[in-house]
Amino acid sequence: MKARRVRGLDPAKSLRENAARVIRTRVDELYSFVPEALEGDAKALHNMRIAAKRLRYVLELTGFCFGPYATKAARRARELQDLIGAIHDCDVLEPRIERYVAGLAEADAQALALAVGSEGADPARIPRVRRTAYGALAALAIDQRARRAVLFASLTRRWRALERSHFRGRLLAALEQQPVKKSA
Amino acid sequence: MARARKVEGIAPEDSYASVAASVVGVRAQEVFAHRDGVLAAADVEPLHDMRVATRRLRAALELFDSCFPRADFAQALRDVKRLADALGARRDLDVQIELLEGYARESSPEERAALRTFVEQLRVEQAEANAQLAVALQEIEQEDLEGMLDRLAARASRRPR
Repeated sequence: MKARRVRGLDPAKSLRENAARVIRTRVDELYSFVPEALEGDAKALHNMRIAAKRLRYVLELTGFCFGPYATKAARRARELQDLIGAIHDCDVLEPRIERYVAGLAEADAQALALAVGSEGADPARIPRVRRTAYGALAALAIDQRARRAVLFASLTRRWRALERSHFRGRLLAALEQQPVKKSA
Repeated sequence: MARARKVEGIAPEDSYASVAASVVGVRAQEVFAHRDGVLAAADVEPLHDMRVATRRLRAALELFDSCFPRADFAQALRDVKRLADALGARRDLDVQIELLEGYARESSPEERAALRTFVEQLRVEQAEANAQLAVALQEIEQEDLEGMLDRLAARASRRPR
């Protein structure tokens, strides 16, 4: 996903001024993907992960220029990114298992047909050890699907908690604040 | 996972261009500091560290793109993305293998045998991804990405592009 263009950046102006522009754009970008992502749209979820990652990195790098919530917001963005990343891992692994099982099934079916021959024998029976193998792989795929559902529910709860804590408003307010100076 | 190195000596009121030079310089060093050992499949941590460092470098480049000469920036970003893709492809397989091996440990012996066969196939794909990564590492060496990033950092300009 191509990053949304940030208008008005000026290399001669301060880090603080430019970073605030970038952060505002990245927050808008993140929020633009949330409704569809939380309705289960896979592409929007992918874009939300990328947007959270971009927001996280700019906040990690420049959070010290602003009020304390900017640094806290970097952690919140990272949590979102991690959760969506874990969902993505499930989305990648489950079809991979299914492809592997489909390949095994095809090979087993051919081997069984050859073994039985054409003399009108009883339907071929797959050896017990192979049935166990299919069972193990099916269980693995089911686990991935269940894990994804749990992670997605967790993401939804996490986002609602962020909304309740006024994530966007507090982050934008922090951009107007001066950093807290550390005492010597 | 290695923590990001703190970029020393930057302040909120410093010019965006001067911070760009410092940050890109440090983030580039981090990438190349993790180069040794990334092709070893037995220890996945060096690859993970280099991948994270590459992501941070890419984020820094994208953040400060307005400070760099357009053509130099585009070439550096393209090379960094290519490296990131090769590292990511290997990392995805490392993660899947680790997960499956954990799952196999908790399974019955018959189930474990089936899962191990699946892991063996993933290991073949991991070796292919590693070969692609070796090519990518060789290319960034030949194109002197490290030097390119040093020069890019040095050319960060206060003039709007």
